[in-house]
Amino acid sequence: MAGTAAGGARQSRAAPYLLIAPGVLWLAVFYVVPIVSLAQTSVGVADGPWWDGYQRALTGYGSHFFRSLRYAFAATLLALVLGYPLAYVIAFRAGRLKTLLLGLVILPFFTTFLVRTFAWKTILNDGGPAVRMLQQLHLLAPDGRLLDTTIAVIGGLTYNFLPFMVLPIYVSLEKIDRRLVEAAQDLYSTPRGAFRKVVLPLSLPGVFAGSLLTFIPAAGDFINAELLGSPNQQMIGTVIQNQFLEVRDYPLAAALSFVMMLLITLGVLAYARLLGTEELA
Amino acid sequence: MSHDSRQRDEEIHRLLRQAIGRRRFLTRTALAAGGLALGGRFLASCGGREGGPEGGAGGKSKGPVRISNWPLYIDSETVPDFEKATGIDVEYSEDINDNGEFFAKIDEPLKRNQPIDRDIIILTDWMIGRLINLGYAAPLDDASFPNKANLLDNLSDVGFDPARKYSVPWMSGMAALGYNPKKTGRELTSVNDIFDPKFKGQVTMLTEMRDTLGLVLLGMGKDPAKATLADAKAACARIKKARESGQIRKFTGNDYAEDLAAGNIAAAFAWSGDVQGLRADNPGLQWVAPTEGAMLYSDNMLIPKTSNRQDLAMSWMNYVYHPAHSAQIIAGAPYLSPVKGSGAELAKIAPDLASSPLVNPPDDLRARLHVFRALSDAEDMEFNRVFQDAIGA
Repeated sequence: MAGTAAGGARQSRAAPYLLIAPGVLWLAVFYVVPIVSLAQTSVGVADGPWWDGYQRALTGYGSHFFRSLRYAFAATLLALVLGYPLAYVIAFRAGRLKTLLLGLVILPFFTTFLVRTFAWKTILNDGGPAVRMLQQLHLLAPDGRLLDTTIAVIGGLTYNFLPFMVLPIYVSLEKIDRRLVEAAQDLYSTPRGAFRKVVLPLSLPGVFAGSLLTFIPAAGDFINAELLGSPNQQMIGTVIQNQFLEVRDYPLAAALSFVMMLLITLGVLAYARLLGTEELA
Repeated sequence: MSHDSRQRDEEIHRLLRQAIGRRRFLTRTALAAGGLALGGRFLASCGGREGGPEGGAGGKSKGPVRISNWPLYIDSETVPDFEKATGIDVEYSEDINDNGEFFAKIDEPLKRNQPIDRDIIILTDWMIGRLINLGYAAPLDDASFPNKANLLDNLSDVGFDPARKYSVPWMSGMAALGYNPKKTGRELTSVNDIFDPKFKGQVTMLTEMRDTLGLVLLGMGKDPAKATLADAKAACARIKKARESGQIRKFTGNDYAEDLAAGNIAAAFAWSGDVQGLRADNPGLQWVAPTEGAMLYSDNMLIPKTSNRQDLAMSWMNYVYHPAHSAQIIAGAPYLSPVKGSGAELAKIAPDLASSPLVNPPDDLRARLHVFRALSDAEDMEFNRVFQDAIGA
């Protein structure tokens, strides 16, 4: 028994490394190598200084960067406002319906992203049900439209990434020890107070994770802008895609990608500080 | 996979193709999903039968001939007919949706002399020119291509491929105005109608630079065959202004077809064959070559130099250059056939279509068709930069 314990200890020292090795290898090959190659591309300017791509990225595409961050922020906020109560009800109030409701949250994933977004196109058509209803309620001008507007793009982003917000929040709510809530109420806390002082702080890691999982892909997305937006709603993803494939201005496209990565990283760090989730940052 | 689910998959596939159509979207999405589909036999189920050609002539390459084309660019009979007639299997993929994007996929392997698992690819004139210049094309074997003599005279000597050494047209098409008279309330006759403020937010233009830029230049009284960078800049300034004011709702591949059919837009820069196809369900839709003119382009078959089945590719080309076979393709995809005598054959199988200007343009329309100037690679980048800025991408 003692011998196996010693062997087990040795094994367990090596085990973590063995366990992470495939992941590290994967990331090294499919993340680090492409990133380095992208970095080389971004400074591989044919004529002019090496920072030419970055200079043009920063001077020419400010509005696209700003728009991408703005749309992603709006979609994240909307997803949070819609997703938190939903996750809360599923975690605390759903009872026997819990599994069903979780299944419904995940259900859209059984259809591909592209088809789901195409479905939105049909729903938002100028003569479609959504437009007609809003016009009858006088919320939309008679000649107004939804498709190819900012509202449609943000709506599409919110819809497509909502499950990424709901699921982490649900998980963090689900694992809260109910006795803590009871204890708070025993100590004369109102239900609202118990939520504010106990449930909300304990669910913040879920909110943090959900926001990142929504914000980061939303900021880099181009399908929603392409299908549901007009040219005036194009996001940075579209520009990068066009510069790479149509214009073939590789340094500019690579520089745009790096600037976007930098902006998102800074945003995430600031957000982590704001929420005070040191263990996550 | 059950029969039902396969049927459903095929239905979804068909609907998507309708929605997305000839240009652009699927490759982009596949690319986004990391699905660089080249090399994968992803259309194997739609391709030929199992096994190699039985009793094929001696000395022939083995395996199916692999063809990449744009969606909705062929009828449904030609592939099986060819297989029956020659004993050569065909793996026909509709995986080209945008010249630039397809080029981005094949550029690296061809540069390194690696196979791209395709024996024929079909791309637009200017892109074919680029591939030939880069040395990516295999010369055609004219000895096994007797039907090459059926190529229309006006297409047999082109700037990007003198004497058609490397490529022959698959089909030609026209880019001009498509519109929905119910939404416009009037007939459209000029390119500049697309800038009419009455149609604000209800018009679209194409992302294909040569088509959109060419049409706008025609509207400004310039000849696209002689367009300078200054002309392009002037035209792009006009496009940009219209885009920023909200006049132009979108720049599209042929997803404009969906918007036109759904009544979301009143008028669009549109390809000739598409509108004909839409008319089946929306009989009111119109396609018109404006008084200023329309843009003419061809998509051409080319054999990548790394193909190891070039003899099979030649058999395919020879087959589709037979007038009757070409007519059959046109009957399923109403564009302009490059094959002499196909008009008479078409009249036998589809008399209504044979008289349509989309398939058989009358002389006064032919006189108004323009081709965009051949751009050098450096010019192409310059023009594209200005154009992409104008369309906000």
